[in-house]
Amino acid sequence: MNKERTGHILRIEYSSIHDGPGLRTVLFLKGCPLRCRWCSTPESHRQRPEHGYRPEKCVGCGKCAALCPQGALRLEEGKIVCDKNLCTECMRCAFHCPKGAYTVYGQEMTVSQALEYVLKDELFFFHSGGGVTLSGGEVTAQADFAVEILRECRRNGIHTAIETSCCADYAEIQKLLPYVNLMMADIKMMDSEKHLQWTGIRGEKILENLCRIDASDYEGEIVIRIPLIPGVNDSDDNLRRTVEFCNDLKKIKGIEVLPYHELGKETYLLLGRDYPMTCTPMSHEKFIERLSYVRAQNPRVPVTSEGE
Amino acid sequence: MGNSSSCGCGTTFSANTVTAADAPSYMHRVNRLKARVLATRPEMDLENARILTESFIETAGLPHVLQKAKAFYRQCTEKTIFIQDDELIVGCSGSKIRGGILCADTCWSVLNDELDTISDRKYDPFYLRPEDRKMFEEVIRPYWQGRSNYEAWLAQIPPDTKDLRDTGMIYINRKAVRGWGETTAGYKKIITRGLKAIKEEIQAEKDKLDLTVPGDYEKDYYLESMLISADGIIALSKRYAALAREMAEKETDTVRRAELETIAETCEHVPEYPARTFREALQSLYIYQICIFMEQNAASYNPGRMDQYLYPYYKADLEAGRLTEEEAQELLDCLWVKFSEPCLFQDAVTAEFAAGYPMFQNVCVGGVDTNGMDAVNDLSYLILQATMDVQLYQPSLSVRYSMAKNPNRFLRKVVELIRLGTGFPAFHNDDEGIKMVMNKGIPLKEAYDWNPCGCVETNLEGRLRHYTALADINLGGIVEFALLDGKNRKSGRYVGARTGDPNKFETFDQFLEAIRGQIRYAVRAVVKGSHVIDEVCMDRPVPALSLSFNECIHRAKDYAWGGAKYNAGNGIILIGIADLINSLEAVRYVVYETKEATMQELLDALDKDFVGYEHLQKLCKESPKYGNDDKNVDGMVGEMYTFIADEIESYQSKFGRMTPGILPVSGNTPFGLEVGALPSGRNAWTPLADGVSPTGGTDFNGPTSVLRSVANIPHGRFVQGTLLNMKVEPQMLSTENGISQMMALLKSMCSLGVFHVQFNVIDQKTLLAAQKKPEEYTGLLVRVAGYTAYFVELGRDVQNEIISRTVQKGISVG
Repeated sequence: MNKERTGHILRIEYSSIHDGPGLRTVLFLKGCPLRCRWCSTPESHRQRPEHGYRPEKCVGCGKCAALCPQGALRLEEGKIVCDKNLCTECMRCAFHCPKGAYTVYGQEMTVSQALEYVLKDELFFFHSGGGVTLSGGEVTAQADFAVEILRECRRNGIHTAIETSCCADYAEIQKLLPYVNLMMADIKMMDSEKHLQWTGIRGEKILENLCRIDASDYEGEIVIRIPLIPGVNDSDDNLRRTVEFCNDLKKIKGIEVLPYHELGKETYLLLGRDYPMTCTPMSHEKFIERLSYVRAQNPRVPVTSEGE
Repeated sequence: MGNSSSCGCGTTFSANTVTAADAPSYMHRVNRLKARVLATRPEMDLENARILTESFIETAGLPHVLQKAKAFYRQCTEKTIFIQDDELIVGCSGSKIRGGILCADTCWSVLNDELDTISDRKYDPFYLRPEDRKMFEEVIRPYWQGRSNYEAWLAQIPPDTKDLRDTGMIYINRKAVRGWGETTAGYKKIITRGLKAIKEEIQAEKDKLDLTVPGDYEKDYYLESMLISADGIIALSKRYAALAREMAEKETDTVRRAELETIAETCEHVPEYPARTFREALQSLYIYQICIFMEQNAASYNPGRMDQYLYPYYKADLEAGRLTEEEAQELLDCLWVKFSEPCLFQDAVTAEFAAGYPMFQNVCVGGVDTNGMDAVNDLSYLILQATMDVQLYQPSLSVRYSMAKNPNRFLRKVVELIRLGTGFPAFHNDDEGIKMVMNKGIPLKEAYDWNPCGCVETNLEGRLRHYTALADINLGGIVEFALLDGKNRKSGRYVGARTGDPNKFETFDQFLEAIRGQIRYAVRAVVKGSHVIDEVCMDRPVPALSLSFNECIHRAKDYAWGGAKYNAGNGIILIGIADLINSLEAVRYVVYETKEATMQELLDALDKDFVGYEHLQKLCKESPKYGNDDKNVDGMVGEMYTFIADEIESYQSKFGRMTPGILPVSGNTPFGLEVGALPSGRNAWTPLADGVSPTGGTDFNGPTSVLRSVANIPHGRFVQGTLLNMKVEPQMLSTENGISQMMALLKSMCSLGVFHVQFNVIDQKTLLAAQKKPEEYTGLLVRVAGYTAYFVELGRDVQNEIISRTVQKGISVG
């Protein structure tokens, strides 16, 4: 018998009203090729499970350091320091910590396990017109795993959506398309150089992928999302060009503008990384003004925002 | 959850005032009426008790029920009455608003025990004036000593029942310290027939009697007591009419003078004659309401389906051009303020179990009619609006929602009311309510007409008698008994069943059997106590209440004696649903499955309240928990609560099969104070979980998982209702999309067969509380598109950022 396919899931969120129509179960897949500096979920970057550490919960008992098979942990001034080069993320520390100072990010799961979680809320999907949303990380980075989940959902009559950066080989994206009802795709910025500077990867491929999807026999809908990052992509020029691009997409159903926030700062600390962003969040008034600007560029689909 | 108020039906007293510039003009009057109620400090009101006592002295020798009726008549004709500025609907059961009425015949000694403390006790204080205290000591106490129902109960309580009560493992005094309540009187009969016609009905029965036939004499004086009571109610209303007329003559303001004249005309006509208008119907209802409360101070006299029995009056007035929608709204709002005027007087312990002077006058809208068809009408919306306008703690507003029959527009209005964050309405799944009432032995046709009662119990107007919540069983205590072989940890006394030393339980099933043994023992003790209370209450006739029950008249048999059309056994209430399940699961997981600790280690840890056993407590807390849609845990829920329902239903009383229910009001807090540490990881002497809700901070997957877990309780079998408190994210209610999703959530809840839910909106206050007591809010999620985190795990500055954002849109916390 073939071993069932597995994938890496960061977390599962139920009854979300932010990730497509109705009440949705969102599977956050772990692992992303981009390193957007404003990212609020740094724990989704790597595909393998990893641990976070909260010094304020740690009482410095040293139990984890004694248990660590790699000797990656040591106690310094009552707190734990982790040598990330030695750590294999075996999670023994997290399991044995009496104070819950460790958080485990990510879990390996089979397709049928993931599906079991999704099917729990079938009834809520029925009443709300909701369904499943695969989010990330980046869903196309685990395309084979994602395809199986999406196909099974469709077999069970569940509406499917994905949230993607479209930063992948088109072949990977193509695998998903037959099983997707709604694609929510990010356009972060039109200028490829700037894209490289802020996300670590050039942007042409993303725009090209979007055009190919639009020209393909994909039968679902496309919604373009613009995360509005102050000083990065909120210029008149970028927003105007983004709308122009959107207007050329035949399958587009809407544009959604998302406000930037710094709520993920904390997680960087827990992971022992630096927060790479320095801008200050936009005022509400400024956000509304930028939103109006987008709307003034004659988009041919509605522009919506939760931040409104 | 982690909020202290477990039941929105009685614990919140909102000072919110609708002041929007576009508020309708009648709101000025409503706000003035409301301000007066809010500014009045609750006081003991002993006038009724004095009149009762004087009358009983005077009528010595007469049958008890006649003495009671004559005393009631004297109260009606002698009590202080008043009409306050701005009032359109009048009446008060006492001599002042927000008075605590003492029913001396039921429980004079309750006040006696608290003479020095009643004015400033922790829960529900009543100011006692020195002159009232003197009168109590000189007039009331000397007469009633040895004669009250409460004393009869104390003398007759079975010893095992007493032991469990004294150690806080059951609470069973409630019905002995206050009157009947927990009933839905035949308001419709009073309003539509009028007391004159009801008197003729009574007289006709009386005329059939032959005093030489054995038994007819008792019937004769009983019917006589009903006639006297009816006369009392008419007389009281006429006194209000006279007072209004007198005030009108002196009134210089022409507008107010006209209002007083209308009050006079109204009170002159109803409740003696059938109501002719919407206003007369409201006034008739309210006069009767104050009278039955006066007859016996008790919680939960439920006006029930007002949108049904008042609708014909509303419709006729509108069609005749006598009334506008706005005038109808104003009248309803005025009545709503009246419902908040009385204060339930009860002893300090009972007050702990239901704090907030809870009158539990449950008004209900929606559902289906007696043909099984959509019952929502224009008045249903006006009634919802009255609660939105007035925002006081009474009446308790309930919705019967029939997913199949009620329109979406109605559900949407309900969501708009939920959005106000007052805890109202209590949302009931109509199909489950109908099932519950049928399971009490009532045929479907009549079960269609059920109404929520008190908190979440089920009732039927003018036809059903029982105590819906006679006693509570502490399920946290049950776990403790099973672990300590019947010993109560706090007192060290062996008062439970001896189910054996848990160290000798080789399998989880043996432990489970010990739990079952403790439940059997506690249920038996409660049933014995209930039978005693049934006997004690035979001496507590209520002719004024009974005269709105058809069968009480035709059988010449009081409500108290089983005269109503349907009688059922008393309600036995379970508290600590989640604590029982989570403790069972933790024992299974820690001791029998992973074997991370031995039973002895667990017992030692519990004995030390986990001090020095932090790792074990963490394991306990990480054991599977109720509320997360976990198959194993939910399987246990179905098994345990089916067993408990079976057990309670296996007992009969003289009035019918005993009835189970799950509603804590606020009883989960005092019960928790009696229970030591539990295997669930809960620390000693802290509150238990409320209703069927998961323990605060242990549900991590949001509302759909909570509902799916809760759905494993066989709701329809807990015929006295099941209560679920849920958090709702402000975002859910602040956008069109959110409102739609909330409606979908409520429909899903109905499909799942969950009976009831009420919502606490997570506002800034909740988040601030979560900062202070993070352990109670561990499951609180912060959600933004693409970002989710547990609130309490965030750093202080991020938390503050979120708190400041909750006033805006674009973020949601749940």
